[in-house]
Amino acid sequence: MAIQPHDTKVEVEVAGIKFNNPVLGASGTFGYGLEFAELIDLNRLGGFCTKGLSAQPLPGNIPARIVETHGGMLNAIGLQNIGARAFVDEKLPLLRRYDTRIIANVFGYSDEDYLEAIQMLNDGAGIAAYELNISCPNVKEGGIVIGSSPVAAARLTAKAKAIAARPLIVKLSPNVTDVKVLATAIVEAGADALSLINTLVGMSIDVNTRRPRLNYGTGGLSGPAIKPVAVRMVHEVASCVNVPLLGIGGIASTIDALEFIIAGASLVQIGTANYYDPTVTMKVIDGLSQYCASKNTSVKELVKSLVKD
Amino acid sequence: MLDTIATVASNTEIAPGYKLLTLNFNQAIHARAGQFAMLKAHDAFEPLLRRALAIYQVGGATQLSFLYQVMGRGTQALALLKPGGRVDALIPLGNGWAEFFDNQSAEKNPSSLAPIERAIVVAGGIGSASVLMWCEELRQKNIATQIFFGAASARVAQGCGLADFRALNMPLTLTTDDGSLGERGFVTAPLERFLRDGGNQQAAIYTCGPWVMMKRVAEIAEPFKLPCFASLEAPMGCGFGVCVGCVVAMKDADPKSYGAYKRVCTDGSIFPAERIQWEVAAMTH
Repeated sequence: MAIQPHDTKVEVEVAGIKFNNPVLGASGTFGYGLEFAELIDLNRLGGFCTKGLSAQPLPGNIPARIVETHGGMLNAIGLQNIGARAFVDEKLPLLRRYDTRIIANVFGYSDEDYLEAIQMLNDGAGIAAYELNISCPNVKEGGIVIGSSPVAAARLTAKAKAIAARPLIVKLSPNVTDVKVLATAIVEAGADALSLINTLVGMSIDVNTRRPRLNYGTGGLSGPAIKPVAVRMVHEVASCVNVPLLGIGGIASTIDALEFIIAGASLVQIGTANYYDPTVTMKVIDGLSQYCASKNTSVKELVKSLVKD
Repeated sequence: MLDTIATVASNTEIAPGYKLLTLNFNQAIHARAGQFAMLKAHDAFEPLLRRALAIYQVGGATQLSFLYQVMGRGTQALALLKPGGRVDALIPLGNGWAEFFDNQSAEKNPSSLAPIERAIVVAGGIGSASVLMWCEELRQKNIATQIFFGAASARVAQGCGLADFRALNMPLTLTTDDGSLGERGFVTAPLERFLRDGGNQQAAIYTCGPWVMMKRVAEIAEPFKLPCFASLEAPMGCGFGVCVGCVVAMKDADPKSYGAYKRVCTDGSIFPAERIQWEVAAMTH
């Protein structure tokens, strides 16, 4: 595939990493990137976050794992993944062929698990950054348990930062009373950037069986339905920390992406929309270029440009 | 795998609650029997996710048909499509039946050591949509094939394409749960009789239907040591392997290890029945 010239108006730099554009595939919705090679030009993609990688491979949760809701879906996948070592050995060599930024999403049940996974990934050439997943609502240990406590989150962030060979992004949970408290603690502990939001904890019940539709009981709500919550949280966090933000939550169009950028996100991640519109990332990249051209501006200028009268 | 926008040629009711959607594509689709597509009305915002529908018939290189039961929000939205309407389609998806006939590797088909000389196709309800093309292909291969076709009632049997199956002119045993057409009862009863009466020589069983039916078919096949292959259905987020939502539990894997669950969309949708842990349902309706 021919590599098209990049539009400088949509280039972004975050934590010292250059992105050709601010559009990334979100963790958990983009596999290991290679699954999209048949559908989109990965060389045009700003980057992507891998499925959450743990030190040991994980089987995931017992099905049913997904259920559709109005304007979104609930999932309780349970981080089924091949493991950090297999990612480095089997996926990275194939991914290095592409001109896109690879962010390894890291998961563990304990601080030690997270650190072990990061050590494994430190060996992998071609990884641009780490995204610490301390906000997965679908596992009973680690994840959201750490991500709900500013003390635990800051402690893990500091430990991870100390050993990480790459910039450290920490992915925040929206399932907290005040996301600003959490964000501040994590940035003070050394995070290079924050991504938000992970899914909102939800539940759906089958009225015929009177059982939860998801075997796990609850799941993470994603999709267009959560976008306003996510935009609000990006706006709140942008007002209290001075690190770059990666906006996530229901982005399915150029306008959605622009809302997050204006609210304060330097990069955006597209998640659930990839399922029902596998080429959505390409459409948003084109749309951002067109918007910047028509408004004679750039993504850099648009970040945190909300007009306050 | 192609992500494209198809045009509706027709969307006709076969029986109340059952429709046949015929789509025209702007390029040739090389679809194999047993494969499926993820479909959604192009202009619809709701529901969000595409729906997995089996490829029922091929009407030329650029035309495919999908037989479906109007059940939930997704198929209700598809049922509203009119000729000329546009459909988002990811196609073709899944492994297809021929994988379990032509390339009988030990991994894919551990129990089948002898070449397949006869075939038994067991269709239950709208599971029929996945096997019509395979029945045609078996006939072309000159494989003696017995079809077992089960439905809840005469109306459902019509809706599930009984006329198309009868037009194949292949041996067909029909059952309905209410006895309104064919033998009264579940399709598994005549299947079991057939095998006991000697219909099991060098046969492979291909099945698609409700989860409990396929579970029972697998149980019936087991003592006869017949290779049995099942096309599974599960709620799917994406259809191409990234959401990992549509998994089925594998019997031959450690439940605590990676590999305990396989994706119906890209690891299947057809699996050797003996590998499936039928107690863990992927789809229960």
